[in-house]
Formats: sequence, structure tokens, C-alpha cells
Amino acid sequence: MNRGAKGWRLAARLACAVAVAAMFLFPIYWLAAISIKTPEEIFAYPPVWIPSGFRLDGYATLFRDGDAWAVWNSLVTAGVSTVLAMVIGFIAAYSIVRFRTGGDHLAIWIISQRMIPPICVAFPIFLLFVSLRIVDTYTGLIMLYTAFNLPYVIWMMRGFIQEIPLELEQSALVDGLSRWAVLWKVVLPMSRAGFFATAVFTFIFAWNDFLFALILTRSDVITYPVQVTGYFGSQSTFWSKIGAMSMLGVLPMIFVVGTMQRFIVRGFSMGAVKG
Amino acid sequence: MSQSTSIGRALDDERAFKYLLIAPAVFVILLIGLYPFIKLILTSFQNITMFDDDRSFNGFIHYARLFGDDRLWESLLHTAAFTAAALPIEILLGYLLALLFLDPMPLKRLFVAVILLPTVISPIVAGSTWRLMFDHRFGPINQIIAFLAGEEVKLLWTVDPFLVWPAILVAEVWQWTPFMFLILLAALSNVDREQLESAQIDGASWLMTFRKIVLPAITPVLFVAVLIRALDLVRLFDVIWTMTGGGPGTRTETISIYAYQMAFREFEISYSSAIAFLVIFALTALVIFALRRVEIAR
Amino acid sequence: MPNLQLRNVDKFYGGVHAVKDVSLEVPEGEFIVLVGPSGCGKSTLLRSIAGLEEISSGDIALGGRSIVDLPPRDRNIAMVFQSYALYPYLTVYENIAFGLRARKFSDGDIERQVKWASEMLAIGDYLQRYPRELSGGQRQRVAIGRAIVREADLFLLDEPLSNLDAKLRDGMREEIKRLHKQLKKTFIYVTHDQIEAMTLAERIVLLRDGIVEQQGAPLELFERPKNLFVAGFLGSPSMNFIEVELEEGGAALRLPDGQSLAWTGSLTLAPENGEFIWGVRPEHFSVASGESSDLEALIEVVQPTGSRTFGSFSLAGTHVVAELDARTEVAADRKIALNVDMERTACFDKLTGEAF
Repeated sequence: MNRGAKGWRLAARLACAVAVAAMFLFPIYWLAAISIKTPEEIFAYPPVWIPSGFRLDGYATLFRDGDAWAVWNSLVTAGVSTVLAMVIGFIAAYSIVRFRTGGDHLAIWIISQRMIPPICVAFPIFLLFVSLRIVDTYTGLIMLYTAFNLPYVIWMMRGFIQEIPLELEQSALVDGLSRWAVLWKVVLPMSRAGFFATAVFTFIFAWNDFLFALILTRSDVITYPVQVTGYFGSQSTFWSKIGAMSMLGVLPMIFVVGTMQRFIVRGFSMGAVKG
Repeated sequence: MSQSTSIGRALDDERAFKYLLIAPAVFVILLIGLYPFIKLILTSFQNITMFDDDRSFNGFIHYARLFGDDRLWESLLHTAAFTAAALPIEILLGYLLALLFLDPMPLKRLFVAVILLPTVISPIVAGSTWRLMFDHRFGPINQIIAFLAGEEVKLLWTVDPFLVWPAILVAEVWQWTPFMFLILLAALSNVDREQLESAQIDGASWLMTFRKIVLPAITPVLFVAVLIRALDLVRLFDVIWTMTGGGPGTRTETISIYAYQMAFREFEISYSSAIAFLVIFALTALVIFALRRVEIAR
Repeated sequence: MPNLQLRNVDKFYGGVHAVKDVSLEVPEGEFIVLVGPSGCGKSTLLRSIAGLEEISSGDIALGGRSIVDLPPRDRNIAMVFQSYALYPYLTVYENIAFGLRARKFSDGDIERQVKWASEMLAIGDYLQRYPRELSGGQRQRVAIGRAIVREADLFLLDEPLSNLDAKLRDGMREEIKRLHKQLKKTFIYVTHDQIEAMTLAERIVLLRDGIVEQQGAPLELFERPKNLFVAGFLGSPSMNFIEVELEEGGAALRLPDGQSLAWTGSLTLAPENGEFIWGVRPEHFSVASGESSDLEALIEVVQPTGSRTFGSFSLAGTHVVAELDARTEVAADRKIALNVDMERTACFDKLTGEAF
């Protein structure tokens, strides 16, 4: 193969990559454009491809009406539940890996929990939450997200902890650390990349959930996806609000992908390669 | 003896320690996982509706009703057909993308990041976005088609019974092809380089290399990816909820949408429990069957 | 006659100059070993011959015909990889048959060829097994089998023995040499192990930093190394290097610690001010038996191996190893008198490292 052909090949691949990236990016661009368009631009026919200016009126409305609280609610529930699920899941995964607690059955039972479609258990959970009086509270939603992400956390962390050489822990035990200290001073630091990747995913799952938030919230702790669907009225659709609220939900994800791509790639591929 | 010392001792005792570590997880999963499941089975044998709260044992009346419920079978058919349509497309496109990005390329990280974005955004946002994209008047899709076709089009993507499923398919493929892409990219980069070089020296054709070396190597990973995606597709809810709400009529009702309608709109609690149990039962059987097949293949 | 010619081959990886202007002529049937420390460019060179790497400039010709523009499959070469690169989802039989199937041989021919190769390598019993069910040594044989079934002009072996344990390695070394004798084909063998190079090669090409330092028959390189690097690389334990000074008149060597010994060696080119580096192989020391001895040393560590005993001592700050007769009594922390086989020592320029 001569060098010229190689150069052309790379150029062709680059061109394909640009086209593909543009196709995947365009819908998000469109959403972002709607969020900063004037009402006239949104409802222009034919559509306006590039907004004339950068108007934040849509966002301002969300903050003025208090709708933006939904983003805060998402942040609190997703954030706190991620921390809880990671801590509980990490120590459980360690127990399963190191002591084979419950044998293979427990591990398989735990992962099988994730297989069940949420809608199937939604109503009994709703009843449970009613009797516990935690419908439409942070406590309720945090508890639910923690529980629903636990199987995933345990499954992922199981894989990462298995990679840590046992000798390392034994050496720490011989050096006089307690088992509890080994867990936090040896196992956690050794698996921190995997731990972080799992945490990112756990956060994303909770951040993006819709069904449980729809069922288990009323008004106080409504999350942003529920808020977005509220703007699709039967009579009229509030395009500008949909654009702005959706973008508030998307922007953190753009940040996550931009800064933590490595962990996301690792998290995605680990799930399948290790599973 | 104070509580802290007894915990301290438990921490040193391996037997107690391992159970202590796993206890919180098991408690939470029992509460949110097992309890609702049992409750679900119990409810399915009672008769609880919006108007009735009959908690006595009612036998299998709700299960019997499943068989005559055309709307249920239709929604199951929708789910199965959509899964059968979406999965191969996602695998094929994901594979092509993985091939495109397998070798080093400038700005590769940036391209991958952009392609990754759809998978990490909320399905609700994805659905909303595509609903705006597909809007027959103000959305860009009809404009692009009109440009390509050279004449004005007014396709009612979210209303026309023949166009709703393709529209949902586009949204779903857009959001989840990147997932397949990433997994296949990882799997392909793990194919042993020396094996490929050896095949090259042995003079194997592209097809022979793919069939004898690449495909067997990526099959296990592909299988898990397909399983994950299939389970996701069965619970397909958010995108349809925003794009069509299950309509027009019941045209895009999936099993998840139907179960939701039964439980939370029509308050057919016991009947919806029977549906839920059916779904869980069918999925479990399917997954066990799939895993067995893989074990045999190995 | 398919002899292999490399003409002024250069290879750059980005800014790294991995192979520098290497020219090489390999007549048909020769067993040539490319050896050198890791990163010396030996594997790159081999992969360039295979067509797995593109060379930056120069030419590679097989049988007088340039092959640089040919893809690997059209070069008619066979290669054994370091990891063996067996196809894990194919049986041993199919692994060996792979290259023949790719070239559309008939089933009968394939069976005949596989049978021939498997008998030659004594792997006939494993043909229906999968690679993962084989031991390291068996996998190695399959990898070789896969290379020899095809009537290739050239056999390339990339560190084929480095994943085997020491005992197996000795056996396989002999077997590879026997195979070469039977096949009468050109072998190009890459290794970082000087013993493999010495024992297998008809000709050694010693590389460092992409440059051929010296090439020739193994004993020629061993006996007459061109420079310090070649001298130090071949031989185990390696040659001892001691800084010495030639006393005026050239009759005696003075060591830095003041000892001096009679110089009977010859220097074709006298170094300026008489200082040079003196290279003595461990086996050229011996315990002095009579009255006369060349030098005295305080033995610090003794390592008996059964057949020979290695004694380490320091000579004017330099760590020196002597290989001594196992039956002589040598104890640590004792002073012993040593003789040196002057005729077989080497002298190197202190500045350039070149041999005199």
C-alpha cells in the first residue's frame, strides 16, 4: 500500500466521522436552538435553522415561575442516592467477592432485580410509599433510586474488586490493618477508577429517570423529566419551555461526557465485557 | 457492653463481618425488590379496582382475562416487533461505526464524545427532541425530506398510523446505537492483534478473517449487549410517552405503556398486577433460555 | 533462488527512528538471528519483512523482486508469533489448515499437508483439541506447524520461545534447529536472548538502536567482538571490563589498584597514553596452581552451579566474575591467586568503545 492511498483512506474516514457526528449532534443542536429562539422564530415556517440571537427568555421564565426547582430536585435525589448506592453497593460487592457471601445465588438474584421492568413493580411500590407516607418526598425518591441502582453498583463493583490481587489485602492485614480499614484504605483506592465510572453511571440513571418520578411525585419533589412532559399540553405545547428545561437536563450530561468520557466508555464496555 | 465494642468485634470476626457488609444492600433490595414482587402476586389474586377493594382470594380470574385481552397481545406484539426491528439496526450501525473508529484518527476522542451524547441524555428529553424534530410544520425533518424530494411534504409523523413507528424507531436508534457502538468498539479492539496479523500472513480473505476470528471473539460481548438492549426495549416507555403517548389510539402502545394505563389511569390494580406478573415470568423464562443456549454453545 | 535482500531500510514511528539504514543479504536456506536488547528495532525489521509494517524508505526484495508494495498474503512467507496467535475458536487441525484453506487448497491436499506437519512435530494426537486445551509447549508446536504446512519461501520467527519455561526452551531450540536442517528454508529468527542467538544462528545480526552493530558467525562475534557493546551482549556471565594502563615499554599492565601483570598480548594499535579497557571473559580466569600467578583477588561471593563455579570479586572498584573449575576449593572471603588467558582477552578504546 503506498502512502497516498493511506492518506485518502484517512481523509475518507474523517469525512465519514464528521458526517456521523453531525447526524448524532443535530437533534441536540435543534433542541438548544429552540431554547434560545424567539417565539416568532420557533413558529416560523419554513423553520429558522440558526437562531438570530442568544435569548435566554425561555430559561428566565423557568426560574421566574419556579419550574427550575425541578432541576434542583433532580440534582438532590440523583446526587444523594448515588452516594448511598455507591457506599452500600461497594461494601456489599466486597463481601460477595472476598467472602463469597451467599455463593453464586445471591449475586445472580441481585443482578436479576435489574431485569424486571420498572412498570411491573411500580404500583406495589407506590402502595408501599403511600403506607410509609413518603410519596412526593426527597426521602422516598432517594430511597427508590438507591434501591434501583444497587444491583447495578454491586454487579459493576464486583468486577472491579475481583481485579484487585488478594495478596495486597493480605499484606495489609499482616501489616496490622483491621478488615474495615483494609476495605477503605486498600480496596477502595485500588478500585477508584471503576468506582468513579460506576458512580457516574448511577448518577446518570437517576438523573434521567422518568417513570418513578412520574408515579412517586406530585409537586414538591417533581424532577426535570416530569416537568418537561408537563409542557406537552393537550391544547398547546410550550416549545420554548420544553427546549429550555430539556437543555437544563442535558447540559450536565454534556459536562459529564466532556470531562469524564474515559469513565463512561469504561462503564459501558465493562457492563458487557465483564458481565 | 457498649454497642461500639460489639460492632468492633464483629468487624474482626470474618463471619459476622461479611454479613454486616452485605446487610444494608440486602435490606434495601428486599424492601424495594422482593416486597413489591410478593405484593404484586398477592394483588393479582385479589380483586382491587377503582371501585372495589376485595382482598379475598379470587382465583385466576385476572389471569384468565389475559388471554382474551386483545389490547394486551397487541401491545406485546408491538414490543416484540419493535425490538426485532430496532436491535439489528442498532447492531449493524454500531458495528459500522466501530469499524470507522477502530484505527487511530485525529480528534477521535471528540467524535466519540459527540456520538456518545445521545445515550447519556434522558429518554424523555430524547423523545421530546424528536417530537419537535418530527413536527409536521415547524420541525426540520419534513423540511429536509422536502429538500431531498424537491417538493413540499406534510408528513404527520406522530399522528399518521403508518409513520409513528418509523419515527419512534429513528429516535430509539439515534439514542442507543452509540451504546452498541461503544461496546463493539471495545470488543473489536480486544481482538488479538497477532491473530489478525497471522491471518493476514496466512492469506485469509476479509470474510474468512471475520467469520473465523473476529466474530467468535466478539460474540460473547455482543450477546450480553443484545441482552441488555433487549431488556431495555421491553421496558420501552419514556420515548413513546413523549412522542405519541401510545397513540394514535393504541397504535404505539407497548407493554409498559399498557401496564401503566391499566394501573394508573384505569386503576385496574389486580388486573395490571396479573399483566406485570406475566411480563416478569416471560422475561425470566426468556433470559434463562438465552443463558442456557449460551452455555450449551460454549 | 529466493534470497532476501534488505537495502537501506529506514523506519520512523512518528519522530522515533526505529530502524536506521539497515542493509542485509540473506542467501537461501540460511538461519539468521536478529538479536539485540528490547527496542533495538529487531522486531520492527522482522515485521517489515512480513509486510505488517510499512518501511519509511529503502527496499526489501525476495528473489530479486521488490516486495515492499505487496500485502503480507502475497509475499509467500510464514511467521510464528511470540504469543503463537493460535485461533482460539478453531481446532489444532483447523489452525494448521487455516493458511491452506485461505489459499483454496483441496481437502485432500490439506489433509496430507496437516498430517505431514503434525507428524514432524509430534502433535498428531492433539489435532481435534482446541488451543486452550494445550500446554505452552504444545501450542508452540502448533504455531510452528501452521507455519511449515505452507510452502513458504521464508520463515519468520518472532521470539517464539520467550513464553516457554527454561527446560522446554532448551528442547524446542534443538527442535527448531533440526527443523531448519530438514526444511532447508530460510529462517529469520528474532530474539533478545543471546544464548538462543548463539546456539541457533548460522549468522547473527546484532542490533542496537536500529543500527547493525556487527554481523557474522556466532563464534566470530564471540571471539572477535567489534566493540564493547557486542562483547558485553554475547556470553553469560558477560565479559568483564577493567580499566587498565599499559606500562611504558608495553611489557606489563597496571590495574588501578596498583597490581600489575605481565602483558603478553599484542596490540596492533597502541592507545594514546597507554590507557584502555581490558575485556576478560569469566572463563578465561583460572586458579593459579604453581608459584606464578597473574593477579590476586579477594573472592566475595561464590556461586557453584555443579559443572562450574562462579567467583565474584572486585578489582579496583570493578565487579569481576570468574568462571572456575568446580573442583577447585574456592571459599568466600579468601584471597586467591588467578591466572588470565592473555591471548584471548580483548582490548577496547576507552573513548569510542571500539576494539583494537
